[in-house]
Amino acid sequence: MTVGTAPVSTGIRGFLAARRAGRPRQARRTSRALVAVFVGPSLLIYLMFMVYPFLGTVMLSLTSWDGFARTKDFIGLDNYVVLLGDEAFWNALVHNLLWAVVGTAAPILIGLPLAIVLWSGARFRLAFRAMYFLPVILPSVVAGIIWGWIYNPLFGVLNSLLEGVGLGSFTNGWLGDPDTALWAVLGAAIWGAFGTLVVFFLAGLQGIDLNLIDAARVDGANAWQRTRHVILPGIAPMFTFVLTITLVGAFSVFDIIYVLTLGGPGTATEVLAGYAYKMAFGRNFAGYGSAVAMIIAALSLVLAIAFLKIRERGQVSG
Amino acid sequence: MAEVARRAGQSDNREARLRVGRSMSAVAKYAFLGFWAALCVLPLVLVLSTAVKDPNLATGNPFQLFSSFRPQNLVDAWTLGNFEKYFLNTIVIMVPTVLGVVLLSMMTGYALARFNFRGRSTVFYLFILGLMVPFFAIMIPLYYNLRDYGLLNTPWAVILPSIAGAGGTGLPLGVFLMRAYFLDMPGELADAARVDGCSEWDVFRRVLAPLAIPAASALAILTFLSAWNTFLLPLLYLQGAENRTLATGLLLFTGGRTRELELTAAGTLIMIAPVIVFFLLFQRQFVRGLTAGAVKG
Repeated sequence: MTVGTAPVSTGIRGFLAARRAGRPRQARRTSRALVAVFVGPSLLIYLMFMVYPFLGTVMLSLTSWDGFARTKDFIGLDNYVVLLGDEAFWNALVHNLLWAVVGTAAPILIGLPLAIVLWSGARFRLAFRAMYFLPVILPSVVAGIIWGWIYNPLFGVLNSLLEGVGLGSFTNGWLGDPDTALWAVLGAAIWGAFGTLVVFFLAGLQGIDLNLIDAARVDGANAWQRTRHVILPGIAPMFTFVLTITLVGAFSVFDIIYVLTLGGPGTATEVLAGYAYKMAFGRNFAGYGSAVAMIIAALSLVLAIAFLKIRERGQVSG
Repeated sequence: MAEVARRAGQSDNREARLRVGRSMSAVAKYAFLGFWAALCVLPLVLVLSTAVKDPNLATGNPFQLFSSFRPQNLVDAWTLGNFEKYFLNTIVIMVPTVLGVVLLSMMTGYALARFNFRGRSTVFYLFILGLMVPFFAIMIPLYYNLRDYGLLNTPWAVILPSIAGAGGTGLPLGVFLMRAYFLDMPGELADAARVDGCSEWDVFRRVLAPLAIPAASALAILTFLSAWNTFLLPLLYLQGAENRTLATGLLLFTGGRTRELELTAAGTLIMIAPVIVFFLLFQRQFVRGLTAGAVKG
């Protein structure tokens, strides 16, 4: 709640009355026409192209619709029951979970030290930040194309590199081998993601009082202790935020996999989003695909809300 | 912006005093920073080098950077790949998306921050919810909705969902950012304008909206990048060769060319050059827009 900017005309009495009524700002209602002009168009577009299709997914997931039939047969929770016994679904979910763990941990383990080192004093700080951020601004298609080329078994950069340093026996068709494909794709995704974390962590670090660090040093805290007891608590809210967006993002990963492997070889890199896509548009199981999409939505919402709660609690106690 | 610069300078001055990794020698520090910077930049250098390589050398040793110079590759890729068409299609989508997101977010963010009307917080939370809904949760019905509206395979099929927030940015992020920005403005400004006889519209249009330009430009930059890079929306809703954007067009162009690396690289360069130039020009605004939500939230 923001208080303290009451209209001058109403004075302190009006301000207090408004605050009591739970309306700290203008006590006078804005005319409907004005609200309609300012909110109407946005709300209309948002309702038509976001809210309505979201409700559509909920509805479709309860039908056996194939995308063509005139009628959408209501089958209750049947799709979800089928889902429980669908090996391909579980396979995809496991890949998303792995993606969530590795695809969150690795960028943090790379990005946080980089941010701390940059923040604590390095020359060319903005230049470094810009370089770490370059992969992030690249289109996912381009990240996919570049890494597809790096991993290429015949003239790829990775194999050339391995041969160059005498590790020729480790060369591999990284994306074609079911044992390495998911890790290879994950590596490309981590490359494209950790720069975001550097930027976010740097922004969080700006909020830390430098005097605290000095005080800790005076008290004899070493670099690790200063990091552990001053820096990390100082960026806790940002840490929660970063954790939320990367974890939630892990359940929506699609582009880079589509470009690199299309979910293959076999189903070695299949994820929920790709599976929903294939079910709905490849095989015309619009209803079943919607059920898979609902699982993605549910996982995202639960995670996001859980972290919002954690964050709120942190703000109250901290 | 000045604040960030000031802080950057400040911490450089204090470098000796507060350095976390004092034990870490400067060499190790810059080796660490440099290693990851190289990992980020080298693949792009490779793209640049290969894009101008002689076709006979392109699939050879990739580490022979800039061993030949043949800018003709770029022209070849441009004409062979129909990039003119892709560029045009992308711009036709990008411009209305950016304008729509920025203008609508400013108006709605302003109303949510400074108007008093029934349902205000409901509208706000409805938009915020959009930040958490992944695209896949609307992807399937949206296809059939767009078909029924007659918008499928027209630019609107990407523009309108992008404005609504399907691409990850759009109104949910925009309304959130702009509302926070307008909330931070002192109410006295608007009151003074009203006393001077400004209508509510003029208060917005002439007094407060111009003050929100820093936030609006950060939002515009974020939206531009996401519109330029968006892939799945045009993949699904803009089918047919004549409708392809740079993202889907580039994938098609490189798809059948595993051996013509110089053309793949040239096409890639064509797509990313504007983005990189844009990023280098507006880095600060971009970073500010990206982190504003995290810091404020």
